[in-house]
Amino acid sequence: MSANKRYGMSIDIDKCNGCGACMMACAVENNIPPAPEAANDRRGVTWIRVYKVDNHLAYPERRTAFVPVLCQQCGHDTPCVHVCPQQAVDVDPETGIVGQMPERCLGCRYCMVACPYHARYFNWWDPKWPAGMEKTLNPDVAPRMRGVVEKCNFCHGRWHAAQQKAAAAGQSEIDPADYVPACVEACPTGALRFGDLNDSSIEVAQDAQRPESFRLLEKIGTEPKIHYRSRRDWVREIASAPRPEGKDGLRG
Amino acid sequence: MTTTRRNLLKFVGGGAAGALLTPAPWRLITDTALWSENWPGIPRPARGEIRARFTHCTLCPAGCAVRARCVNGQPVSLTGVKPHPISHGALCPWGIAGHHLPYHPARVRQGPVKEALAAVSRAITQRGAGERVAVLDLRPGRTVSWTYRRAMAAIDDGLYLAPRQPAYAIDLTAAKTVVSFGAPLFDGWGTPGNVFAARANFRLVQIEPVETRTAALADVWLPIRPGTETAMAAALAGEITIAEAARETGVDEQAIGAVKEAIASGPAVVLAADPGSPLMSLNAKLRALGRTVVARREAPVPDAWKKAAPATEMAAVPDGGIRVLLIDESLPGGYVPWQDIQPKLAPNAVVVVFSSSSEGYARHAQYVLPAPVYPEMAEDIGPAIDTVAAVFRIAAPLIAPVVPVVNPGELVARIAGLPQNDPLRERADAIHKAGRGSLLSYADGKSTSMKEVTADDFWKTLNQGGCWMDDTGKKAAPAGLGKFGRSGTCPTPHDDLPLTVVAAEVRRGGLESPLMSKLERESNLRMIANRVALSPADARSNGIENGGRCVLETACGRLSVVAMIDAGVPAGVVEVAGGPRMADLCGASQRARVVRA
Repeated sequence: MSANKRYGMSIDIDKCNGCGACMMACAVENNIPPAPEAANDRRGVTWIRVYKVDNHLAYPERRTAFVPVLCQQCGHDTPCVHVCPQQAVDVDPETGIVGQMPERCLGCRYCMVACPYHARYFNWWDPKWPAGMEKTLNPDVAPRMRGVVEKCNFCHGRWHAAQQKAAAAGQSEIDPADYVPACVEACPTGALRFGDLNDSSIEVAQDAQRPESFRLLEKIGTEPKIHYRSRRDWVREIASAPRPEGKDGLRG
Repeated sequence: MTTTRRNLLKFVGGGAAGALLTPAPWRLITDTALWSENWPGIPRPARGEIRARFTHCTLCPAGCAVRARCVNGQPVSLTGVKPHPISHGALCPWGIAGHHLPYHPARVRQGPVKEALAAVSRAITQRGAGERVAVLDLRPGRTVSWTYRRAMAAIDDGLYLAPRQPAYAIDLTAAKTVVSFGAPLFDGWGTPGNVFAARANFRLVQIEPVETRTAALADVWLPIRPGTETAMAAALAGEITIAEAARETGVDEQAIGAVKEAIASGPAVVLAADPGSPLMSLNAKLRALGRTVVARREAPVPDAWKKAAPATEMAAVPDGGIRVLLIDESLPGGYVPWQDIQPKLAPNAVVVVFSSSSEGYARHAQYVLPAPVYPEMAEDIGPAIDTVAAVFRIAAPLIAPVVPVVNPGELVARIAGLPQNDPLRERADAIHKAGRGSLLSYADGKSTSMKEVTADDFWKTLNQGGCWMDDTGKKAAPAGLGKFGRSGTCPTPHDDLPLTVVAAEVRRGGLESPLMSKLERESNLRMIANRVALSPADARSNGIENGGRCVLETACGRLSVVAMIDAGVPAGVVEVAGGPRMADLCGASQRARVVRA
C-alpha cells in the first residue's frame, strides 16, 4: 500500500544534550500520567525515551551520547501490525503513521515482543494524576486504561487539529507548520526535525540522505522513518547493535 | 423436503460452526473492548474554549517567554515564544511542565501566619544590641528584591542578605571561543534558547573532571583532576608553564597548548560554574572585558527606591548576629547551605521561610508559610547571566492560587511598615518615564519604541505577554572582577574522607512536576536526588554493589543514598545529585566517603 505522505523524523544525535524536554512535552501532550510508586525504567510509560549511550571505554576515554528513541514508524513489514491479533495496530495509508487503538488492544503484548526497538509500553496501572492535576490534561487526547499497550503516534491529536483547520479554511492539504509533534516543537537544541519524507524540498527529507545518516537496526529491513545522524563512528555502530565480543553464538 | 426438528438443529449448528470461520464473531469480540475498557476511573479531560495566553517562566533566572494553551482559562500545555529575541522559543523540561506545580501533592498547603507574625513582632521589639532583622533573598535582582531592600532600610539595623550576584553579563554572540570551567552551558546555565542560538558561532572547551551533558557536546572536553582548575587557569594566563599545569591537572600538554592558542586567536570568554569564582577574573587577562564580558544592565527603578539597604553576603554577618531571619524561598534560586546560616543565628532566633516545598529551609525553620508557585503569582525576573540588554518582563499569573498563600513581598513590606503599593506597576511607570528601549508584544510579534507607548498600554502589554528591552548604548566593561591571581588550593587527600565531591547536574530545589519521574525513575536519564555515582574501583574497594544502599558522609553529616557504579566516573570522585539535602551535606565540604549501609 503506498502512502500519500510519509511522515518521518530526523534526529541529530550530535546536537542532543539529553535534557529530556522532548520526553516532558510528549507526556504533557499525550496525557501520560506520572509514575506510580512501583514504576521503574522497565515499567514506566515514555513514548519517547532518551537513552544515554557510551563507547564502552573507561574514564577518561569514555564518551557519551544521547539517543532519543520513539516508535520508529516502520515502513515495511511493520512487526507490531503483523502480530496484533486484535487489529489494534494499523498503518494509516494517508500518512504512513503506525497507529495504535487502545480500545481494541487486549493487552497480550505480542507487539511489544515483536517490536525490535522497545518503543512500546504497557500500562501496568490505572492512569492517575495527583488531585487537581487532571485539570491540566490535554482535551485532544484520551487517557488510556490499564492493561493496554501504547506508543508514539506522532501526536495524532495534532494531525487531526491541523486537518480540521485546513478543512475550515477550505483547503485539502494541511499547512506543514500546523502539524509538528510536541517533542519536535519542544527540542531546545533543534536536534529533532519532522515532515513528509516524500517531499525532497524539506530539511527532514534531505537529512535522511546525508552520508552520516543512519537508522536503527537497518539490517532487519523494517524501513524505519526515523533517521538519525552523527559524525561519530561509535554512535553509528551502536545503531546496528553489533554482537558483543566473544559472543558469536548469540542470535539476532 | 420436510423440515424436521433434526434438520433444523443441523442447520443452526452448521451455521454457528461456519460463522466461526468468518471475521464477524471475532470482530464482535474485539469490539467488546469498547465497553469493557472505557471504565469511569479514567479522568476525562475538560473541554471548552481554547485560547493562548503569554507569561514568563520564573523557575530559573532565565525567565523564558511562555505561550500557554488554555482550556477555559486553565493552562494545559506550555511552549516557548518563537519570535522572542532572547529565549528563541525554547523551554527546559522543568518549564514545559511548570503548570503542574500548583497541584503538586507535596506542596505546602497551610501555615501559621498569625503566629509567625506575632513571633516576628515580638522578636523585633525584644532583640538585644547587635541582633539584627534580616531577609535572605535567594533570587536577587527582582522587583521584590528592591522591596526587601527598602524594608530592611526602614527597619533599624535591617539586613538584606543575598547570594553574590554577578555584576557582569556574558555576550555569547561575540565570542569565538568559550572556555568553561565546569559551567553547565547546555544544562541550566543562562537562557537555553540563547545559548543554543549562539552555539554554531563559538568553539566550546569544557574543563571539568566528569563528562557532564555540556562536556558531552563540547568541541573539546579536558578531563581535569578535581580541584586543579586554578592551575589550568594560571597556565592559560601565562603565570605557570604548560608543563607545570599538565603535571598538576593531569591534562595533556598539547591539549592545554591548543586551548591557549584558541583563546589568543580571537574573542574568547572564560566561564566558571560559580559566577562569583575568582576564575572569572581571567577574562581581564584575555581582554574580554567590554567585549564578551560586559557590565550587567538593570531596568530603571523609581528614585524613591534608591535609599535601600545594600546586599550583604552571609559570610559577612557576625556569628549570632541575626535575631529574625525571613527567607524567601518561593522561587528556586541560589541555595545557601544551612551550615553557613546556622552560626549566624542568635540562640533565640526566629526563622520564617516562605516556601511551597518542605524540602529546603522548611526543614530548619520554626515557621513555614505557604508561598505561591509559578504560574500563580505576578513576579518579574531579572536579567539572566547571558542577557546583555536591560530587560523587564512580568510573569503574569495564569491561574489563581489553588491553596491559601502568603505573598512574601507584601508580608515583609507590612512588617517594615512600607506603603502597600504595587511595586511592579511603580517600576513599570519608572521605566516608561525613562523613555528608553522598546516593547515587544508576543501576541503579534511587534516591537514598538517606548516613545510611542502610553504608560497604561505598557502595563497592559507587560501583563498580557510582552517584554521591555533596552540594548542601546555602548557595551561597558564590568567592575569588580578583580585581577587574576592564582588562589585556592587543591583539596588535599584525607584518610577519612578520600573522595572528592562533584555535582552531577544542575538541580534547583523546590517543587518540580510529578512528570519529572519520566526523566528520573522511568528512564534513568537524570540522576535521582538520593543517588551518587562511583567509579568501579572505588565501589569495589568499599564493597559497594550497583544499586546498593549506602551512606554518604562528609564533614557536615551523613545521608542515606543509593550508589550507582559508572565507569565514566574517575577514581577518587563521587558524583552527587543536587538539591537542598545534598547542598546541606556537601555544600561546605568538598570531601566525602561512601560506606555500605
